[in-house]
Amino acid sequence: MEGRVIVITSGKGGVGKTTATANIGAGLAVEGNRVVVIDMDIGLRNLDVVMGLENRIVFTVVDAVKGRCKIKQAVIKNRKIDNLYLIPASQSDNKDALTPEGVIKLCENLRKEFDFVLIDCPAGIEQGFVNSVSAADEAIVVCTPEVTSIRDADRVIGLLYSRGITPKLLINRIVPEMVAKGDMLSHRDVVEVLSIELVGLVPMDDQVVICTNNGVPLVTQKESKAGEAFWRVAMRINGHSNLPIEVPKGNRSFWDKIGFKLRKK
Amino acid sequence: MFNFFKKLSKNGQSKDTAKKRLQITLLYDKLEVSKDILDDLNRDIVEVISRYFEIDKNALTLDFRKANDERMSALVVNTPILGSKQKSRLA
Ligand SMILES: Nc1ncnc2c1ncn2[C@@H]1O[C@H](COP(=O)(O)OP(=O)(O)OP(=O)(O)O)[C@@H](O)[C@H]1O
Ligand SMILES: [Mg+2]
Repeated sequence: MEGRVIVITSGKGGVGKTTATANIGAGLAVEGNRVVVIDMDIGLRNLDVVMGLENRIVFTVVDAVKGRCKIKQAVIKNRKIDNLYLIPASQSDNKDALTPEGVIKLCENLRKEFDFVLIDCPAGIEQGFVNSVSAADEAIVVCTPEVTSIRDADRVIGLLYSRGITPKLLINRIVPEMVAKGDMLSHRDVVEVLSIELVGLVPMDDQVVICTNNGVPLVTQKESKAGEAFWRVAMRINGHSNLPIEVPKGNRSFWDKIGFKLRKK
Repeated sequence: MFNFFKKLSKNGQSKDTAKKRLQITLLYDKLEVSKDILDDLNRDIVEVISRYFEIDKNALTLDFRKANDERMSALVVNTPILGSKQKSRLA
């Protein structure tokens, strides 16, 4: 059976695409799938450091697409997690070093070897975006519960639709305390505004920064709420589509709870 | 203390503002309809409906919703009807 090619995209930068790619990839691999994640952020690579593989780069996705190396040579094995592989971005090449045709060909080869090919898309909707989505069968759009990010997500969702892809939404950096106070859009609000199917809700979590510091995946940290949420996303992608999406809960203080009750009346 | 009560009684939560602004912005991004045009549309609809029914002009809401299957927009007008104007029209 051929593997699935899934692009993780957002429009707006810094919303958590790379974090999501690394963790969903790790979750799928822990579940026993053969997974390769591709960093398409040419010139601004990051997926390698998030995964702790920055010291092992020899060849890149640009080398693989341009035939400067064999595909196999550009694939780095993650020694901490079985079945998880990375194709890093190039730092030295130009942003438009790649073409959709080249990426499609690469993914056609990869999907024969892997169950999942996850593509970490760069921010924006220019060439890097076009290259990243060209080979994808499915898409996950990442946004945060903020006006700017949601607006950009809407734009990207439209572009994906016009390519025949029905994307799913991952809302990241949710602060449950702010949602409870009415100072952050709830996931229901976001879904209503974007009218799109959800794939996961991920809370703001200090563990994300700590895990990135250490170059280890969150999904293996049992005490991380974000890790747990990403793991659930991976499970849903991996066929457990009935797994309920958990709404992040905060640690509300006594006074918040009272205030909440009073307001409800 | 004042702040405390203000916080409790405040219904105008910032997320509601965010949602409204977003809905209008996304609409404008797609259909290129501005807030001014929406206001004009609202005024005209009130005028037309008022010819047939007695309505509360301020209670009328205009909403753009997305149709479920397609990424198409639907215009939803919602207004309580206070009474009929049929009689006065007949007279
Ligand atoms: N759930 C979370 N809780 C806390 N911090 C987070 C969370 N998700 C992401 N971050 C932090 O937000 C920052 C941006 O995340 P990330 O690099 O994954 O975003 P990105 O969309 O890939 O950005 P870019 O558009 O630059 O590629 C990082 O510093 C990351 O550690
Ligand atoms: Mg990134």
